[in-house]
Amino acid sequence: MGDKKKWFQLDLGLGQKQAVAGSCGCGKPSGGCGSHATEPPKNDLTISAEEFDAAVEQELMEDSMVAQTRKDGFQQVFDRKMDRRTAFRKLTASLLVGAGAVHTSCSVTSGEEAKEKAQIDWEEQFKGNYKLMTQEEKQATVDRLVRSYQLRKKENIKMSAADASKDVLFGYAFNISKCQGYMDCVSACVKENNQDRNSQMQYIRIHEMKDGEGFKFNEADDNYYHEVPAEGHFYMGTQCFHCDNPPCVNVCPVQATWREEDGLVVVDYDWCIGCRYCMAACPYDGRRFNWSKPEVPEDEINKNQHYLGNRLRKKGVMEKCTFCVQRSRAGKDPACVEACPTGARIFGNLLDPNSTIRWVLENKQVFRLKEDLGTEPKFWYFMD
Amino acid sequence: MGTFRAFRHMVKDSLDYITHGSKTYHIWMIFLTVIMLIGMYCYSIQLDEGLSVTGMTDRVSWGLYISNFTFLVGVAAAAVMLVMPTYVLKDIDFKQAVLIGEGLAVAALVMCLAFVVADMGGPSVLWHMIPGIGVFNFPNSMLAWDVIVLNGYLFINITIPLYILFRHYQGKEAKSKVYIPGSIISVLWAVAIHLVTAFLYEGLQARPFWNNALLGPRFLASAFAAGPALIILVLAAIRKFSEFKIEDKTISKIAMIVTVAAQINLIMLISELFKEFYAPTHHSESAYYLFFGLEGKTALLPWIWTAIPLNVLATVLLTFHKLRNNTKVLYFCCFILFVAIWIEKGFGLIVPGFIPGPYGKIAEYTPTWIEIWVTLGIWAMGAFVFTMLAKTSIGIELGKLRYKKKKILKSETV
Amino acid sequence: MKKLGIVFSIIMLCGLFSCKHKEGEYHSLKEKIEEEGKHYQDPGISSEAYIGDINTIEITEGGHTFLIPERKGQIKSFACTECHSKSLAQLQKGPKEPKAHWDIKLNHANANAMNCATCHNGTNMDNLHSLTGNTIDFNQSYQLCAQCHSAQFEDWKGGAHGKNIGGWAEPRAAMTCINCHNPHRPQIGSKWPVRFNTEKENERK
Repeated sequence: MGDKKKWFQLDLGLGQKQAVAGSCGCGKPSGGCGSHATEPPKNDLTISAEEFDAAVEQELMEDSMVAQTRKDGFQQVFDRKMDRRTAFRKLTASLLVGAGAVHTSCSVTSGEEAKEKAQIDWEEQFKGNYKLMTQEEKQATVDRLVRSYQLRKKENIKMSAADASKDVLFGYAFNISKCQGYMDCVSACVKENNQDRNSQMQYIRIHEMKDGEGFKFNEADDNYYHEVPAEGHFYMGTQCFHCDNPPCVNVCPVQATWREEDGLVVVDYDWCIGCRYCMAACPYDGRRFNWSKPEVPEDEINKNQHYLGNRLRKKGVMEKCTFCVQRSRAGKDPACVEACPTGARIFGNLLDPNSTIRWVLENKQVFRLKEDLGTEPKFWYFMD
Repeated sequence: MGTFRAFRHMVKDSLDYITHGSKTYHIWMIFLTVIMLIGMYCYSIQLDEGLSVTGMTDRVSWGLYISNFTFLVGVAAAAVMLVMPTYVLKDIDFKQAVLIGEGLAVAALVMCLAFVVADMGGPSVLWHMIPGIGVFNFPNSMLAWDVIVLNGYLFINITIPLYILFRHYQGKEAKSKVYIPGSIISVLWAVAIHLVTAFLYEGLQARPFWNNALLGPRFLASAFAAGPALIILVLAAIRKFSEFKIEDKTISKIAMIVTVAAQINLIMLISELFKEFYAPTHHSESAYYLFFGLEGKTALLPWIWTAIPLNVLATVLLTFHKLRNNTKVLYFCCFILFVAIWIEKGFGLIVPGFIPGPYGKIAEYTPTWIEIWVTLGIWAMGAFVFTMLAKTSIGIELGKLRYKKKKILKSETV
Repeated sequence: MKKLGIVFSIIMLCGLFSCKHKEGEYHSLKEKIEEEGKHYQDPGISSEAYIGDINTIEITEGGHTFLIPERKGQIKSFACTECHSKSLAQLQKGPKEPKAHWDIKLNHANANAMNCATCHNGTNMDNLHSLTGNTIDFNQSYQLCAQCHSAQFEDWKGGAHGKNIGGWAEPRAAMTCINCHNPHRPQIGSKWPVRFNTEKENERK
């Protein structure tokens, strides 16, 4: 960890132990706690996606192996290399994180896991702002979140901390003449981004408008249910426009939301304090708030996640469309683009002169919504 | 060392003093405690379930909490309107009123901060807002400014009266060299907190109802009407329930402030109404919703049409010297003015800002009972804090609380 | 009063320094795209993996080179000549009842403009043919459509019409005309939206 820390951080001992090869938070000399498998990313910053996948895969296998050769509680305790300072730190961690954790850590068999959970919870509670983290710290928090999910749900997820690539600026175009209002994009988006099912949160809205009346959003219906396309109507989709001059980013008091180098406006869900000022500042209705704890059925969870994207949120934080950062940074189209059966949605790199999005901007009559506000959305509309 | 001991004694004496009192005092405090407890219970439900237990939605994302916050910032700012004449212009008339005013400012600020915390989705990570430990989006975010100015103002308003009271407690005169610079800063600061709070809304190009240059000045005018109006009512109550002498002259001077501010506020209201309704654009829809309802949605009509007549009536009555000098009329006017501005600047300002939404959709807002009880709880907390502060300062000012005079005090009650 | 002036000027100075504009910011998004795109280098992201098991062929049309799904392998019984050993003229001499393709009804333009033979070659059924009689491969059927739908063809080449396959990154792969439009019935029918949001309905009551 660097000397120039921008926030308060309590080091409960994990950081020190990571330096010792072949040792980890759980104390087991060989695999099974998870931090073995995910250790390479910490040492080798230039890890590729395949290596990470392989690591996760390996971890999956180890998990089942460990289940067969599980040591009993006493053995685990004795096996452990623990000096007095570590022991003291561990104890403090469990005490501080809460009575519940302490209670479970008293039972010998589940003690290790409970302590690790408590340690993770503690470090997650007091970690810094993702935007200001070094690559190393970013990877560490992602590893913790993966491990935490593993401990809680006994399942593995893949979480990426991929940064913006150089020479990429994402842009989006929407063909009004092509959209038929099927809402396949909305469904795909909800599934891809693990949005709360109870409140039926959706990032995308499709507005059904009457032909010949211009863009009258107030008279448009964005929650229709009849055969589409309806006679004499056209359809217009809205979502977060990833403004280049985003008012929501300016107003956030804690810099929990920002514009990345590739143009994506993202939220650090763990840093957001839930003041909803960004929501008031957004002229495009692009932001959504988790008024209660978001819930997604276990078998519907998309396990291919990104820290800034579709990882599971908690209650009381803001979220929004990220142009599916978990997909787009890997070269894939966002889920809405992939799902659209009409080809009305076009996504690409604005800096690439040969990209389709650039062709649309240069050859079609494009416009953006509320351009007079000076927000510079990277989301254009056009007609055939 | 002596100072520390004296201070320790003051704290001890004050604690002792505020736990003793007349029957009315005890009933009042128990009443406030009960409301606070209900409020806390409701807040615990909100913590557990999330903000979904409130009436707020993605459409109207700020409600009762932020409305009260906005209003109370004004009350806090206005308290200092009394400081200026007393400390800076050496008009001793206000001397008694000032301590009460600053106590009121402290109570209002405590309530403001409580409302902000109640409105947060993640109160457990509020430390992200503490400069140094967290990350502050300064100077870009007006909310960051607001946190700084509110806490700074709270600090000023605690230290100045504390210093004066502490000197008086020791039986010494407060040194004007020490407190006058402080009071000058606090006067400027008072204007700042309210302007910054207005800028919080004014700076949002997404909400045309707020994005309006008159918002800042109107905030000040309405604050300097509602705040001193509350002070008059509080002084009246203190006159009634304690031996603290408050001269009629003081009250009539504050009434003058209220009158002028209310008149300016009314002029600005007329100017705003003219702009919205003479040549309405689609930016005027929020105002239409507020005053006439939109598409059959009329939730705010009863409120705003209570507020406007009350506001006009109070301003007109206060304008006539004869009526204003009649204490009964004055108290009545202050009360209705306070209520009117609370409505107008509370959810009469916040809720229509969100309606219609960015794409013209209308979803109305009705606070839930949980929200209302949390709000009442916070108001009760404000009253509680204020009562304690006022009782202590009155005790010290009247000489009942004095360093090394504890024995005499014990027998006395307010 | 002097102090008041000092305090006031400090506040004003604070206000000045808190000006929102940062260095290195562009005046408009257009300028930013132009400036930053000047030294554009391929970011090295590939979307090849996302094309999946679709067999593609590379085409170059009007300066645009991209992949489209291969067609012949998708037709159940290609080559056509495996059944259609005789030419159309000879086939039509037999019984009037159609033995195959009886479900195909042409609903594309009107009968004056189009019939089967506008596109299909009666003597060489393994290939299509243009209006002027030039042979067009089944894999390049878009050339057939482009004869009339030139505006759509332009948009499709540029990327404004039709659906992208896989990802935004290189290599570009796009669906070709017949992947969405049935050439015999090119109109896309109406259907029901896939979802309805009941919560939103409640919110606006």
